Parts: sequence; structure tokens; C-alpha cells
Amino acid sequence: MMYPHRIFNKAISGEPPSNALLAAVGGASASVLMSAYSMSVVFAIAVGALIAAGIHGTYCTTAYLGRSASQKRFRQPIYLDMVRSHVPVMMGFAYITTFCILVVSYLMTSVLGHPFPLTLLAFIWGITVGAIGSSTGDVHYGAEREFQNVEFGSGLNAANSGNIVRKAECGLRNGIDNSWFCAKFGGPVTGLAFGMTVFLSGWITTIFDPSMGANIGWLSIVAGLAIILILILWNRRLEVFARNQYGPYKEDEEVTA
Amino acid sequence: MIDIAGVLAANFLYVILITLGGVLVSGSVHFVPVGGAPAAMAQATGIGTGTVQLAAGAGLTGLVTAGAMLNLTDSMALILAAGMVGAMIMIGVTMMVGNLVYVYGVGVPPASAKVDYDPITKDRQDIYVSQGTEGHGLPTVSFVSGIIGGGLGGIGGALVYYSLMSIANGMASADFVGLAAIFAVGIFFVNAVIPSYNIGGTIEGFHDPKFKKWPKAVVTSLIVTFMCAIVSVITIGGL
Repeated sequence: MMYPHRIFNKAISGEPPSNALLAAVGGASASVLMSAYSMSVVFAIAVGALIAAGIHGTYCTTAYLGRSASQKRFRQPIYLDMVRSHVPVMMGFAYITTFCILVVSYLMTSVLGHPFPLTLLAFIWGITVGAIGSSTGDVHYGAEREFQNVEFGSGLNAANSGNIVRKAECGLRNGIDNSWFCAKFGGPVTGLAFGMTVFLSGWITTIFDPSMGANIGWLSIVAGLAIILILILWNRRLEVFARNQYGPYKEDEEVTA
Repeated sequence: MIDIAGVLAANFLYVILITLGGVLVSGSVHFVPVGGAPAAMAQATGIGTGTVQLAAGAGLTGLVTAGAMLNLTDSMALILAAGMVGAMIMIGVTMMVGNLVYVYGVGVPPASAKVDYDPITKDRQDIYVSQGTEGHGLPTVSFVSGIIGGGLGGIGGALVYYSLMSIANGMASADFVGLAAIFAVGIFFVNAVIPSYNIGGTIEGFHDPKFKKWPKAVVTSLIVTFMCAIVSVITIGGL
């Protein structure tokens, strides 16, 4: 409250349902174009992603105008130039996301022979990419970029919530500036996480093909468990590194518990 | 006219298995360390997203791997294991990369505010919680708890899907797979939502005091999934 800012606010629902909607709309449009009009795959996927991007643009506009107008007590101004400058960018990103998810889903159904229909696979990967983005890349945005004025190396004090950085290197900060910053770390690691999920979950059954016998199928499970063990150990190393790096925040006292 | 009693009597085993799968999913969600919006601002331990969304992301990845496995083999144990491993990989990668962001992007050590010592590594936690926060990041105990939660959720989702795919019906194969998968996704979502009332936004894993509330969610889930199972079995068996 009383912090007028120029950062685009388009929270509609959660990220996973929003991405799932995009991917499912794109997947449904693409499979209709492929089956009913027998269009080429690339064209169908591109048109499907275009329709999804258009729908995302509609939601972005109504979400921004609706939130700012209905929550009048927060006294947030509505900048029409922000709608003009941000919505096409967001539609562009929505297009890229949907296109890539549709390509992954199409390859899974046609090349890897997955039994699920294209639309359903797109829906599931949409939920997954949303869950991953919301839990990895968003942290970089929400915990670091919006609170660059507090000291690096500790969590955000609850008293500082809402006191976001509103001024940029030049002029007032907007949503595109934040995307620029998060594209350096938060964005790429989100892509890394989604890529690792898609790759590793498919890789184990590609190397140890269960159709060649149950024993090889069980080997794929063992390979998956080995990957998980490596992740646990890696996480432990990271935890130890961070504890040494940022150090205890309080003096060591005797704990009675 | 569909012979409802006949379809139910012929597939009663699958009704029970679907219910069991749903109960597993709702139990598993309690293991997943989620922190919601506070975690996204490094104010609470856990993954910075909603309960349902993360559980759904992991469980549905498990469903994809289980579906791929069902296409290749008939062994029920192998299908359940494939679902488990798929979900565990998804949640493990997400937590790992989430921790990368916490450590290198935000600059906080993983720490739990609910316990003074990590039950697995015996590391001191309370002095690593920075001022004005309820912990941050994913310490080893939350990580392991999340892996267990993802695994149980994957088994549950795969069990529901396997049971639905075993019902005799007169549909074309592609339609059947689509319908069964959509029912499995639906039952998964229903059971991912129920525990969120117990969790109320944040939970750190099996060491969190809120974890003890799980029987309530399991009883609710038993009733709800049983009704879902009857509807789905009649729908698929009657077509």
C-alpha cells in the first residue's frame, strides 16, 4: 500500500494452471489442425501456439486492468503505456513456451510412441513447467530482484515485505527490467530444471528399454534411483557450502531441546 | 442402458485399488516441503510455490512415465515403480535447482525453523535462520522428505491409471487411453487439494508438527476417492 510502482502485475491464478491452459489450448488447436485439416506438423504447432499466445494476451490485459482498478485502496495507477509495451512481450514469451512444450509433446507421441494424446501430454508438461518455474526462477525474482535494496546473504525480513525496489538504474523500474535481470540466472536455471526433468525421466527408459524384458525394465528403475541419490548428495554439498559461506546469523547459544 | 451393478461387481477390485491410489496421493502431499509465497521471498522453508501445484507437477510427471511403461509391459510392479521414479526425478530436480537459486541467487543457507537440529545430518539449524524469517531453502531433511512425497504420489497416480486401464470396455484404444488418463489426472487433483487444508500454506516435511494431521486428510480422501472411483469405473466400464 502507498507504494505506487510501474511493475506489471498479471497474477491470474497459479503459474501451473496458467501454463497448462496455454499448452492445452495450443495442443488442442494443433491436433485439430493436424487431424481434421491434415496440415503439416510445424504449421499446426505454430498456429496452435499463436492461438494460445492470443489468449494469454487477453488474460494479461484483463488481469492488469482488473486488479489495479478493483483494488482501488492500494492506489495503484493504471499506466496504459505499460499495457502497450508489456503485453506484446508477454505474448511473445507465451508463444515460445507453448511452441516448445508442443514440440516436446509431439516428439513424445510420434517418435517415442507415448500412448497419451498430444493435448493431454501438453497439459501435463504445462503443469510441470509451471510448477518448476514457480518454484525455481520465481524465487530469483521474488526474493532477490524485488528486494535488491536489502543486504545480500540473508533471507527477507518479514517487516520488509511490500517494500519493493521501484527505481531502476535509469528512471522507474518496470516489468521488462525485471525480466532482463532474471534472464541472467532465474530464467536459465528454470529451463535447466525443466530440461533435466524431461530428459532424465525419458532417458532411463530409452537406455534400459523395458520392452526387451522385465529385468531391463527394473534396471531403468535402478538408474532412476541412482540419479535421485546423486541429487540428494549434490544438495548436501550445496547446503554445506552455503552454511560455510553465509555463516550463522546468531551467536551460538545452548539449546534446550 | 448400462448395467451399473454388473459393471461395479466385475470391477470392484479396481474401485478399491483406485481408492488406495487416491489415499496414497493425499498422504504423499504432506511430505512435500512447500512454502508458498513466503518461501518465494526466502521467508519460509520449502519450495516457493503452492502445495497442489507442486504435487500435481510431480505426480503428473510420474503419470507420464507410468503411461509410457504401461505401453511396453504388463507388470504392475514395474508400472508403479516407473511412476514413482518419474515423480521423484521431477521433484528432486526442482528442489535441487530451487536450492541453487536460494544459495547463489538470493544468498541464503538452507535452514529449517521448526527444528533446532536437522534429524538426518544433525546440523544446527536455528542459528542459520536469518532475522525476521521462518527459515529458507531446503535443508537435507526437507529434501529427503520431498523425495519420499514425490515417490508416494507417483505410485498413487500410477496405481489409479493402471486400475482404470485394466477395466474391460468397448472403446477404441486411443479414446480409452485418453479417458483413463484424464480420470487419473482428475482424481490426482482432487487428492492433492484435500491436504492443503491441513497444510495451510507451508509445511517443511515429515519433521514439521503439521505433519501429524495427516490422518484427517486420509479419511477425507478415502470417502472422496471412493465416490470418484465408482463414477470413473461406471463411466469407463459402461462405454
